[in-house]
Amino acid sequence: MLRTVKPKNARSKRVLDAREPKEVEDARIAIFVKGTKTGEVLNGVMKDMMALKRPDAISFSKKNVIHPLDAQNTASASSSTSSLEFWSSKNDASMFVIGQTSKKRPNDLTFVRMYDGKLLDIVEVGVENYVSMESIPGTKSTPGHKPLMHFASELFDTHPRFIQLKSMLMSLFNGEAVESIYLKGLEHVISVSLAPTPATLNIASASTESTTPLPKVHIRTYATRLLASGSRIPRVELTLMGPSMDLVLRRHTNPDPELLKQSMKRPKLKKTDIEKGLGKKRKNLDVDEMGNLRGRVHVGKQDLSKLPTRKMKGLKAGAFEDEHGDDAVDDDADNDQEVSTKRQKLH
Amino acid sequence: MDVSNILADHAEKTNSTQLLVEPDNPLDIDAGFLTVTDPNPIDVESYESSLESHLLSIARTGTQALFNSLFSLPTTSSPDGPLAQLPAPTTQLPRAKPLPKPKPLTKWEQFAKAKGIQGKSKEKRMKKVWDEEKQEWVNRWGRDGKNKQIEEQWITEVPMNADIDFDPKKAARDERHARVAKNTKQHEANVAKAQKAGTSANTEREAHKKELERTLAMSRTSTASMGKFDRKLDGEKKMKGIKRKVGFHDYMPSIL
Repeated sequence: MLRTVKPKNARSKRVLDAREPKEVEDARIAIFVKGTKTGEVLNGVMKDMMALKRPDAISFSKKNVIHPLDAQNTASASSSTSSLEFWSSKNDASMFVIGQTSKKRPNDLTFVRMYDGKLLDIVEVGVENYVSMESIPGTKSTPGHKPLMHFASELFDTHPRFIQLKSMLMSLFNGEAVESIYLKGLEHVISVSLAPTPATLNIASASTESTTPLPKVHIRTYATRLLASGSRIPRVELTLMGPSMDLVLRRHTNPDPELLKQSMKRPKLKKTDIEKGLGKKRKNLDVDEMGNLRGRVHVGKQDLSKLPTRKMKGLKAGAFEDEHGDDAVDDDADNDQEVSTKRQKLH
Repeated sequence: MDVSNILADHAEKTNSTQLLVEPDNPLDIDAGFLTVTDPNPIDVESYESSLESHLLSIARTGTQALFNSLFSLPTTSSPDGPLAQLPAPTTQLPRAKPLPKPKPLTKWEQFAKAKGIQGKSKEKRMKKVWDEEKQEWVNRWGRDGKNKQIEEQWITEVPMNADIDFDPKKAARDERHARVAKNTKQHEANVAKAQKAGTSANTEREAHKKELERTLAMSRTSTASMGKFDRKLDGEKKMKGIKRKVGFHDYMPSIL
C-alpha cells in the first residue's frame, strides 16, 4: 500500500485530483506488461493492441516475473497480485494486458481488470493466426478515436465465460461513457465473433465448467468507410485494417461477488435526468406541444353510480323495506339505493 | 434522355444495401457504448466455406445496424460539426473506482441550505471582475487585484475627522489581511469538521468520551460548594462557565 501523498505544489495537486473517483469515469488506463518470455507474436499483438488503446495505454517494456493465475495462495500468485496492485496505484491504471509465452501455454495473453486498486477478475487467452496491423496495407485509425465494437454469437448473452470476455474487451476498448460523439470520427470497428456453437454447449449452456472445448474467438479490426446512400444514414463499407487474431479461452478467475457488487454500484440519477424520463416512471406528468411540463394535480370527480358494488340479497329493492322497515324509515321515505348502502355499512 | 432506368438501378442498389437481410433475432444495440451484439447463432456453412468473408459480412451487418441507430440520434451543432447525443449505456460494466463520496458541507453551505439561500457557487464566481473605470476585466484578487485597489491607488481620500497619523492605505491593508485571516480560520474549521466526520470509526469513541466528560462535570458541581472545596487531582482542568447561584443567605448571613 502506498502511503497517502500530500501534494506539495499546485501541479501535483491537480494530478492527484484528477485521480480522485468520478461519477462518470474516464476510459480505463491499460498497462501492457511483458512476462518472462514473450515471442514475436505476442510482441506484435501487444503493440497493435496498444495502437488501438492509445492514448490510455502504458507500455512496460522490461520483462517481469508475473503469474497472476498460478495456483492461489502460492508465493508467486500473491507476489503477482501485489505487483499488479502496486502498478495500478502508481500509474492510476485499472487494466492490465500481460503477454507471456511458455511451452505449456504458447502465446498466452492475460487480461486483468482491477477495481479500487484491487484485483477484480482475470481472463487468459491463447493467440493464434495473428496478422499484424503493419502487414495489412491501407489507412489506419487515428489514435484516440473511439472504436465501434461488434460481438456476434448468442453465447455472448448466455455463456458466462463469453459474457466475461465481452465485458472485459468492452472495458478495455470501449468502457467510457460519453455524452456526444462526432459520427464522422468513427473510423474503425473491432469485431469479435465466435466459431459455430458446438451442440453440447447449446444443450447445457447453463453448466459453466463443462469439458467441451469452447468455440474459438475471432477478432478482426476493420476500418469503416461511410458512403452516400441517398438518405441520411450512410452505407458502411468495411476494409480489413488489422490486427486480426484468433483467441482460445484458457484459464480465468471470477470476480469476488462482494467486490463485483461494489463495482457495479451506479450513481443516483440526477433530478434533471429523471425529468427527462430516465429512471423512475413519471406519473401524472406530460409535456404539451409548447414544451411545457404539465402536471395533473386533481383527478375529476369520479362517477360512482356506475361502480359495480357487491350485490347482496338484503340490499335488493323491496327486500330492504321488508326486513328493516322500522330502521330505514326515519325521516326520508325516498332514500335512494346508494345512501342506504352507505348507512348499512355504518351500522 | 430517359433516366428512369438509372434511377431504378440506383434505388435497387441502395435498397439492397440498406435493407439488410433481416436476422431472426434483432441485434442488441448499445449506442451509449457504441457496441452491437448479434445474438444470432453463427451459420456453420458460411463459416466453414470461407471464414474471412463470413466474418466480414456479419461485421458489416452489425456495423450497418449500429450506424443506422447512431445516425438517427438527435444531434447538436458544435464548432467542429454536428455531434450525436448518445443515450446512456445499457451494458453494465464494473467501475474502476468506487463512487465518489459526497463532500461534507461547509458551515456556510449548511446554513444556506437550511435557509434556502441560493448564492453563486464557487465555480460560477469568476476570477475576474469588471472594472467600470478602467473599462476592462481585472483580477478579483492577486496581482493588481480589485481587492487591493485602495492600497494601490496613488491618492486616497482621508476622512475629515481622522487622526493626524491616519494612513488610509494601511487601514485598507489591515482590513484585507483581517478578511484573509478570518477566511483561513473558517476554512480550517471546516476542514477539521470534515475530517472529524470522515473518521466514522472514532465517532463512537468520541461520543463516549463526551458523555464521560459531561458526567464528570455534573458530579463535580454536585456538592454544595459546586466543587470549590473538593480535593483537586493532578492535571485536572479548571471548569469553565460554572457559577454558584446566589441565594438569600449569601446576602443576609447575619439574620440567622
